[in-house]
Amino acid sequence: MKIGIPRALLYYIYYPLWRTFLEELGHEVILSSGTNRGILDHGVKSCVDDACLPVKLFHGHVMDLAGKADRILIPRLISVQPGEFICPKFIGLPEMIKNSVPGKPNLLILNFNARSGMEKGYEGLRSLGRELNASNAMINHALEHARAKQDVYTGMLGKGSDPITLLEKRGRQLSNGRSAGKSKGRIGLIGHPYLVYDQYINMNVCSKLDAKGYAPLFPENIPAHEIDKACERYPKKLFWSYGKSLLGSGLAMLEHGMVDGLILLTSFGCGIDSFIDDLLQRANQREFHVPLTTITLDEQTGQAGFDTRLEAFIDMLEWRSRYDSYLSPYGADVYSNQRTI
Amino acid sequence: MILTFPHMGRMYIPIKGLFDDLGVKTVIPPPISKKTLEIGTRISPETACLPLKINLGNYIESIQKGADTVILMGSCGPCRFGYYGVVEKEILKDNGYDIDVVILDSPGLDPKVFLQRIRKISGNRSWTKIAKAFLQASRVVTKVDELLDISLKKRPRERKRGETDRTLARFEREVLDCHGSREIMDFIEEYKIIFSQIQERENADPLKIGLVGEIYTLIEPYVNLNIEKKLGALGVEVYRGITIADWVRTHLSLDRKYKKQRREKLKKGEDYLGLCIGGHAWETVASTVSYCDMGLDGVIQILPFGCMPEIVAESIIPAIARDRGFPAMTLTVDELTGEAGYLTRLEAFVDLLSQKKGRGYEQA
Repeated sequence: MKIGIPRALLYYIYYPLWRTFLEELGHEVILSSGTNRGILDHGVKSCVDDACLPVKLFHGHVMDLAGKADRILIPRLISVQPGEFICPKFIGLPEMIKNSVPGKPNLLILNFNARSGMEKGYEGLRSLGRELNASNAMINHALEHARAKQDVYTGMLGKGSDPITLLEKRGRQLSNGRSAGKSKGRIGLIGHPYLVYDQYINMNVCSKLDAKGYAPLFPENIPAHEIDKACERYPKKLFWSYGKSLLGSGLAMLEHGMVDGLILLTSFGCGIDSFIDDLLQRANQREFHVPLTTITLDEQTGQAGFDTRLEAFIDMLEWRSRYDSYLSPYGADVYSNQRTI
Repeated sequence: MILTFPHMGRMYIPIKGLFDDLGVKTVIPPPISKKTLEIGTRISPETACLPLKINLGNYIESIQKGADTVILMGSCGPCRFGYYGVVEKEILKDNGYDIDVVILDSPGLDPKVFLQRIRKISGNRSWTKIAKAFLQASRVVTKVDELLDISLKKRPRERKRGETDRTLARFEREVLDCHGSREIMDFIEEYKIIFSQIQERENADPLKIGLVGEIYTLIEPYVNLNIEKKLGALGVEVYRGITIADWVRTHLSLDRKYKKQRREKLKKGEDYLGLCIGGHAWETVASTVSYCDMGLDGVIQILPFGCMPEIVAESIIPAIARDRGFPAMTLTVDELTGEAGYLTRLEAFVDLLSQKKGRGYEQA
């Protein structure tokens, strides 16, 4: 059977797991096309207006697969870490798809709920295997392989690689600046994987940074224990796995002075980012004073405006190190009112 | 220690009773106004949900009246409400209000911390006294909701237009003079009688509309632009999907029977959504289905802009409407919602319902 996986949302994180599992069970896996104008338009048209850009894109990717695949894998990720959740929209995703995508495509729903333990989470994959009529032995074998693949993948991300290089095989394009050793610095790119790694929707921000001589540093490059440690400054445990990863990695980058600037990529209306980005900005303003900018993406984001903001940010970054003795004639410096340069 | 808390509908009545009984000083935030919202909007993250903005406005207005500690309920996700406490404290701190924020998380999460915090806000009274005060408060909650339910029945049927709302406004003004939950409950009983004496039109057969959606928006009249009053004035009997009493019984009590009933109700929506996705989206879907089964004329879903769980429900409700031929409308509110446009949509929806019933256009 041909099973389609939409190239959207947490595909960027879990693709090796899903793909290996399905292939080991003897199915063919196909991906939807890379995000393009058509996919975006279809997604926007079929999804409710209030949803965020990534969810709309997911709708578009599902529609792209309809007709090409026998069944379409829709992950219902309730929790990917014990005791934590991810965004509520992920939990209701299959229902959203069922009720919004025209033509009733044949869906294959993968439930993943690791709230009470990782092994419980993998139960979801097992029952998916049973739904595909695989024997228990086959399922165990496939799961073992898939988890091994996934571990290798996660390990490579932790060592500084990124999903675009690993999954999309476009690595050379990205790493030009980095490998040549003429990198001017590093810029932390804080955002959900489906924004940071979808080169269509984020206007190729990685290549653009690269062209300016800056290497991007991604949240997935920060090891999990550093993230947990950085989040300890807040009195209540963050219950969103990706919220925690963004906030913790951002803080870790700031604390260890790993970056020259931070760009927060967010999609308009992202509930989690509205809190996470706010906390990160407040921490930065109080302690670290690293140049930081927020870029909000939605279906109407224009290339020119995006480029201008990115250029302005880089200019500011460079001027700041060049003219650090600049004192404002207005009595207060331009960066904040609590600090003099 | 002078406590304050965020507004949520008439929740201030039981809370006042509770802290009167415990002898703890409280500041009830001034009623939510445009100014409250302006204060909150100015200091909140732009895309934070509306309740957070109003909460912050409430705190600051209370702090100006002398409060120094905020109490707030907590939860542990996945809805944003669970992290309100932390974000609100940070925002207050950056704006020069370095005050104590006590978050009451669900007792199941960490019973010891929960009890410590309860003790702290209760002014270190004995446990029996605390338990008694909380029990009394939960009774007040139920009574307030009973009173509001009577008002919902009366509004579309009243003979003298506006009498129910005038009575309710008088009640809300006068209840603040009561001290302690006992006095409050007696006062509510008095008003139940006053409400029941409101004269009804003969042969009144109002349209019936169910309200579903995000709990804060449903319960807080300022945020939903007083939808119950507006619909009542259009001659509609309103059914509420969620009340404060429901919430208290679900999260704070050990009422097994109620919890079982709740599960059965949630099961009704199984065809469309079969699990909790945070917030009250599951209730929204299940209530929509059960209102359809009850033979109501339609439902209105209300949510604050960007509410994560309700967006999922929003995409499911049209399917229910389609499958069952059941009229449904979604209203999204935020700090920019205009009253006139909102009223027009309500009027149009009510017109459609009454035409569907074959009544033609009627000015209620």
